Amino acid sequence: MTSSSSPSRKALSKIACNRLQKELAEWQVSPPSGFKYRVSDNLQRWVIEVTGAAGTLYAGETYQLQVDFPEHYPMEAPQVIFLNPAPMHPHIYSNGHICLDILYDSWSPAMTVSSVCISILSMLSSSPAKQRPQDNDRYVRNCRNGRSPKETRWWFHDDKV
Amino acid sequence: MFGNYGQRYIVLTEKDINERQEEDIGKVSAVLSIRREEACVLLHHYKWNISKLSDEWFADEEKVRDIVGLLLNGIDLPNSRKLTCGICFEGYSSDVMSSAGCDHFYCHECWEGYISAAISDGPGCLSLRCPDPSCGAMVLQNMINKLAKDDDKVRYARFILRAYVEDSKKTKWCPAPDCTCAVEFVSDGNYDVSCNCKFSFCWNCTEEAHRPVNCETVSRWILKNSAESENMNWILANSKPCPKCKRPIEKNQGCMHMTCTPPCKFEFCWLCLGSWAEHGERTGGFYACNRYESAKKEGVYDETEARRERAKNSLERYMHYYERWASNQTSRQKAQADLQKAEKEQLAKLTDVFGIPETQLKFIIEAWSQIIECRRVLKWTYAYGYYLDDKVKSEFFEYLQGEAESGLERLHQCAEKDLQSFLTVRSDNTEPAPSIAEFGDFRVKLAGLTSVTRNYFENLVQALEAGLEDVHSTAQGTTSSNATNIPSKKAVTKGKTKKQLPRTSSDNSDEGWPCERCTFINPSSVDACSVCDKHRY
Ligand SMILES: [Zn+2]
Ligand SMILES: [Zn+2]
Ligand SMILES: [Zn+2]
Ligand SMILES: [Zn+2]
Ligand SMILES: [Zn+2]
Ligand SMILES: [Zn+2]
Ligand SMILES: [Zn+2]
Repeated sequence: MTSSSSPSRKALSKIACNRLQKELAEWQVSPPSGFKYRVSDNLQRWVIEVTGAAGTLYAGETYQLQVDFPEHYPMEAPQVIFLNPAPMHPHIYSNGHICLDILYDSWSPAMTVSSVCISILSMLSSSPAKQRPQDNDRYVRNCRNGRSPKETRWWFHDDKV
Repeated sequence: MFGNYGQRYIVLTEKDINERQEEDIGKVSAVLSIRREEACVLLHHYKWNISKLSDEWFADEEKVRDIVGLLLNGIDLPNSRKLTCGICFEGYSSDVMSSAGCDHFYCHECWEGYISAAISDGPGCLSLRCPDPSCGAMVLQNMINKLAKDDDKVRYARFILRAYVEDSKKTKWCPAPDCTCAVEFVSDGNYDVSCNCKFSFCWNCTEEAHRPVNCETVSRWILKNSAESENMNWILANSKPCPKCKRPIEKNQGCMHMTCTPPCKFEFCWLCLGSWAEHGERTGGFYACNRYESAKKEGVYDETEARRERAKNSLERYMHYYERWASNQTSRQKAQADLQKAEKEQLAKLTDVFGIPETQLKFIIEAWSQIIECRRVLKWTYAYGYYLDDKVKSEFFEYLQGEAESGLERLHQCAEKDLQSFLTVRSDNTEPAPSIAEFGDFRVKLAGLTSVTRNYFENLVQALEAGLEDVHSTAQGTTSSNATNIPSKKAVTKGKTKKQLPRTSSDNSDEGWPCERCTFINPSSVDACSVCDKHRY
C-alpha cells in the first residue's frame, strides 16, 4: 500500500487532542454506517474503511480513507484522501485526492470526521459512472512532489454529482 | 500644475474614509431601523450602494435578511444551563457561550479561534457565518469586538475600511507605497490625479501619471519594456565613455549637457554622445536631441559604421525612444531629490546669505516642481512618438518635442547650475561673493523660464491629447487662429528655412518682445534678452 504524502506536520495542539479524543469516543459509541475505524494509537492519522452502499455503483466494494489532522484542528480542515486504489469517480483523482468543497474552502470547525465521512459516502452513492475526472492526468502529474490536496486551488466540480 | 483641476477628484485620508463610512452606516441604520453592525454588513453586501440596498430592503425585507444572514429575533440565551460547545465538545455554562443570534452556541475560546482563522484568511471574514454548516447567521462586528483578540479586531476594522474603497467604483487607493490615502474620482475628463503624498497617478490605470499618452499606450509601452528589458539594461547604466578621451563619465546631474573632467573638458550630449556645440547649430535652438533620424546621422564616434548597420533594425528605433524615455525618468528622480534639497537646506542658506525671506524664494520651488512635471510629460512623449505612425504628424510632433526638450533643458540647467553659484560659500574669499543684484537677475531668469516652459508644456499636452489634429486641418489652410502657442504645421514647414519659434503669449508688442531664441517675453525697455542674452535685433 502506498500512502501518498506523509506531511511533516506539527504535533496536535491541546485543543485538537481533546477534541479528537471526544470524536473518537463518540465514533466508537455510534460509528457512521458503512465506515470502520482501523484501530491505531496514532490520534493524528486515522485510517477508515468505507464500504459502498447497497444499490450503488460501489456496492460491496471497500476503500480506505486516510485522515490527517493539522495542529490546529478543528479550526483547520483535516486532510482526507483515499489510499490506493482510490474508487473510480468523477471527483476522485487516481492519486486519492478528493474534490469536495467541505474539505477545503467550506470546512467549518463544527464539522467532524463523522460528518465528513457521511458526505464522502453520499458523493460516492450519487455517482452516475465509474470514471476519473477529466483533468486526472494533468492534476496527478502536478501533484507528483507529494503535494497535499490542501495546497490545490480547487475549482469545484458541479455538486449535482 | 496643469490647468484647472477644479473638483475633478477628492483625496480621502483614512480619517475621511472612516467618517464617510460612519455617516453611511448611521443613515442606513436610521432609515431601516436596524442596529449599527447590521447596517454595516448590509452595506458591505450591497457594496456601499445605499439606494440599491434600501430599494431591495423595502421591496422584500425577509429576502434580504435571508441572503445576508440577519436573523429577525435573536435567540435568548438559555439561563445558566449546561451546554456542549459545538466545536470543542466541552460542556460549559451557557453564560460563557455565545451564538451569532441563532441557537448554535460555542464557547468563547472556540469563537476566538474561529474568528481568528477567518480573519487570517483575508477580507472574506467580513461575511463570516455561524460555524454550523446548516446555518447562515452572519457574525456581526459587535461579536468580533466581543470575542476576537485585539489585533484581530483591528484587522477586521481595516478590512471594512478597505472594502469601502475597493467596492466602490469611484474610489481607488493611491498606489504609492506607504500611502494610506484613497482618491475619489468625481467628474470625467483627464484621469491624472495628485495625492496628498505628492504622488501623481492615472486614476484609470493607476500607473504613474502619463498625460499626454493614453492608458492603452502606457500598458503597451510597459509591456514592450519588460520584453526588451535585458537589451536595455546597459542603457540604464549611469556611466558612458567620453566620446573624445574615452574615460568613463558618470552622469550625476539631471540635464543632458555633459562636460568631461579636465584636462579633456569635452562638452557633449549624454544621449547621442555628439558634440554639444554642434547640437546648438543643428537644431537652431538651444538643445534638442529627440529626432530619431537625425540622431542616427550625427554619430561621431568609433561605432558610427556599426551603428548605421544596425539602424535598419527595429530594435535600434526602440532603443532610441527607450533611452530618452528612461533618461527623462532618471532626470525626474534627480529633480525630485533636488527639490527636497532646496526645501530642506538651500532656501534657508539663501536666506542666510542674502537676507531674503523664504517666502520670496518660492520661485525656486516652483521651478523645481515645474521641472519634475515637465520631465514626466517629456518622458511620455517618447512613448507617444514611438507609436506615432503618421508621417506628417511625426514630423510636426518631433518639432514640438524638440522645442519642448530644449526649453526644459534650459530651465533645468538654470535651476541646477546657476543656482549653485549662489550656494557655494567661498570661505577663502578668493572670489567676490555674488551680489544681491545678481541674485535678482537670477530670479528673473529662473521665474521667466519656469513660466515659459509651463506654457509651452501645457499647450504641448493639449495638442498631443487632441491627436495633433491641427496638423492636417491647418495644412489645408482653413484655420488661422490657433488657440495654442504651438505653431501650425504651416509655420513649421516655412520654419525650415527661417526658424519660427513658438510664441509664449499674445503678439502685443506694447507688452514687450518675445526673444527669438528662448521665447521669453522681455520688457520693451531692454534690448537684450533677460534670460539668454540674445540681442533683440
Ligand atoms: Zn468550545
Ligand atoms: Zn447558527
Ligand atoms: Zn498617496
Ligand atoms: Zn492611465
Ligand atoms: Zn573626455
Ligand atoms: Zn544629443
Ligand atoms: Zn532669450
